[in-house]
Amino acid sequence: MAQVPVQTIHRDPQLFYWILFPITIVMILTGVLRHYATVLMASAPKKQDRKTLREQRALLHGINVRSNYHVLSKSSFSARRDALITAYETGSYLKDPDNRGQPPPNPMSDPSAMEGMMGMMKNQMAMIIPNTLIMSWINAFFSGYVIMKLPFPLTIKFKSMLQAGVATRDMDPRWMSSISWYFLCIFGLQSVFNFLLGSENAANQMAQQMTQMGPQGAGQMFGPGVDPNKQFLAEAENLAVIEHYSVLDGVEQRLLEGIKV
Amino acid sequence: MPSEKELQISPIVQESVVHNSRTLYNLQTLAASLFGVSAGILGLESYSGFVFYLVFSLLTTVLFYALRVAPASLASGKPALDTSRYFRGSYEFWAGGLMNGLAGFILTWTLFYGLVRA
Repeated sequence: MAQVPVQTIHRDPQLFYWILFPITIVMILTGVLRHYATVLMASAPKKQDRKTLREQRALLHGINVRSNYHVLSKSSFSARRDALITAYETGSYLKDPDNRGQPPPNPMSDPSAMEGMMGMMKNQMAMIIPNTLIMSWINAFFSGYVIMKLPFPLTIKFKSMLQAGVATRDMDPRWMSSISWYFLCIFGLQSVFNFLLGSENAANQMAQQMTQMGPQGAGQMFGPGVDPNKQFLAEAENLAVIEHYSVLDGVEQRLLEGIKV
Repeated sequence: MPSEKELQISPIVQESVVHNSRTLYNLQTLAASLFGVSAGILGLESYSGFVFYLVFSLLTTVLFYALRVAPASLASGKPALDTSRYFRGSYEFWAGGLMNGLAGFILTWTLFYGLVRA
């Protein structure tokens, strides 16, 4: 079988200086810029009035008692449980006790809820706008150049992705155009950002999307449209069904077993 | 798997677990980029490049275990190659680095291969 000769393409070395380095540097700087834009645009936590805060803390108190009951002695746990359940059921921690039993207000009409959505919108924008700009910038200036050769072979399927803008039928798919270098940068620059900005940076949109998929904890709990009275009642029920034991139960036995020779 | 009661007697602090795996992740991504640089300068192609990456990232993990994890872990009576003192899953510790660093490796490999062998 005839060996297919290795394609060589003579490229101007100036391509590196005028295409490869600009794209890489722009990608890195955009990541840095995005990180600092996210830091600057992060709205400071809103000051809440005393009643709202009391409502939230009371619920958290209940949850903490429920998940850490094993470090309390029996008497102190039941004292806490009785106090919390009574308070929850009478609704004495509620922000406005007169509204009990009424349906929660429409989240769209609540101004504080709108602010949260604005924050999400801002984050989305900070991701989308730079990407669109850089894509169109690369397309406008650098489309149609073949700049590099991948060090590993690929199947023909990758040709349309890697050689976008270079309509040559017989070229090896290992050759890549400037737009594919851009995609490679998007995926691979996370380590550079980790190195430059510390590991909790917001530079890479891929990592951000990962975290958005993750569990949404405390933010959702006090969100708009959630009836605090119902949460209190549910929490009271959770507390009521706990069968208490302490980690100190039988600790003498365990200690003696531990020091037995 | 320890029972609920054992976990309550000696609890696992979530922040520390997150910090440990984050440290490992940072090491792996950075090391993978540097391996990409060296693979590109050596001019490795296709399989030999990936084998290079595989060998060296496993070597990094083994070194990490031997230098950072093993002293305290063995002293506390864990068997050898057991990472449960600091990490949740052993799979995440031993094989997670391959996935985490691959994108960075390919990026720098391609870049330096292109620069050196242009």
